[in-house]
Amino acid sequence: MAFRILSKCHIFKYITNTTFHTNLRSKDIHISTVHRDLMEFFDDKKNWAVEQIKVGRSWSKDELRIKSNQDLHKLWYVLLKERNMLLTMEHECKAQFELFPNPERIDKVEESMNNLETVVRERNEAYYKLEVGESAERPGQLVTNLLGLNFFYRKFEHLIPKFLNKQWRNKHTFNVVNGNIEKFQRLYREKLHNANRKSRNRDRNHVMHLMKRYPNMDMEAVKQQYPSVDIEKIKNYHKVRGHYVP
Amino acid sequence: MSTRWYPIYQRGNPQLRIFLPNFWMKLVRPEEKQPKNVVQFKVPTGMTNYDIENYLKKIYKIKVIKVESSIENGKMKRAIFNKYGPIVKEDDFRRAFVTMPRDQEFEFPDVCTTEEFKKRTAEDEKSSKVSQDMYKDFLKKQGNRPGLPGWFSF
Repeated sequence: MAFRILSKCHIFKYITNTTFHTNLRSKDIHISTVHRDLMEFFDDKKNWAVEQIKVGRSWSKDELRIKSNQDLHKLWYVLLKERNMLLTMEHECKAQFELFPNPERIDKVEESMNNLETVVRERNEAYYKLEVGESAERPGQLVTNLLGLNFFYRKFEHLIPKFLNKQWRNKHTFNVVNGNIEKFQRLYREKLHNANRKSRNRDRNHVMHLMKRYPNMDMEAVKQQYPSVDIEKIKNYHKVRGHYVP
Repeated sequence: MSTRWYPIYQRGNPQLRIFLPNFWMKLVRPEEKQPKNVVQFKVPTGMTNYDIENYLKKIYKIKVIKVESSIENGKMKRAIFNKYGPIVKEDDFRRAFVTMPRDQEFEFPDVCTTEEFKKRTAEDEKSSKVSQDMYKDFLKKQGNRPGLPGWFSF
């Protein structure tokens, strides 16, 4: 699922024109971006139908933290194009029944994109805390729904405020007492309880059989792995004793 | 990411400005024969025609005349290929046909077949053919008397 916008993102407000396509000129270097149109969706010709493509690692957070906002903004589009290219090549290779060389490249790009976004989020948060005095994170709260279950509701902007929206208010009145919700909640809790009980029993049985098979086992490790099992209690059980004369 | 969500539309500037778009786009080989200036894409379902147009225009600097798109179902298949395998569904996607200006042409390149690739596969085929011939020889010798070891012969 793709989302769109960092609506509260103020660190980019000075970037009015995206400059990642224009020529980069300075005193020492002069780089003009290669204009390849739709062939940007494909890899370099030397990388077509090869067995292995060697690439470096992904961008780490610490590396991205020392970059400027503009650099991050440019890097995002580089990564975006790279990911599109890799996805296109992977799709084509799959369609032609060929192996896609080094598929971990996609993971690397995605990892660097995630890192970049967390860095942007950190900066945005810091900016908001300093300038506005509130968090830049998306607001939310715990809400009870129609079935009486709690969930974290992530708020978004509305045209009409809550107290003016009659239609919404009529839809969202959950204080009807007719016993149905209580019944559902009881059954739901029973289901959860049963699942919990079964998993506890499963663990205990497993530990008992382990103790039977391996009498000289490291019990500390077992305690750590199965914290719900009371080992002192199990020790005297019949199931734990192996098929040998003690 | 928690800071990514749609704000409501408001008239006037600043308009909805996307700083870090997260949409992917795949350029795919068209299944049906298309005019030379039509390109087929696979994009996420959340993308609109305007999104696709702006994406190509702004990021890839491609001239776009028209965009047509529709949401397609992901394929249902069995994860393990027998009748007991669990059924899995691939993700839904949006298939987009992008029309470029009439004078522009795009032909989908043969990414998987190059000269080097042909050379490499030819060697493989050669070796597999040698082993096939050897097996045929073996059958000629041993075909009438199954179970006997290969060395038991004159």
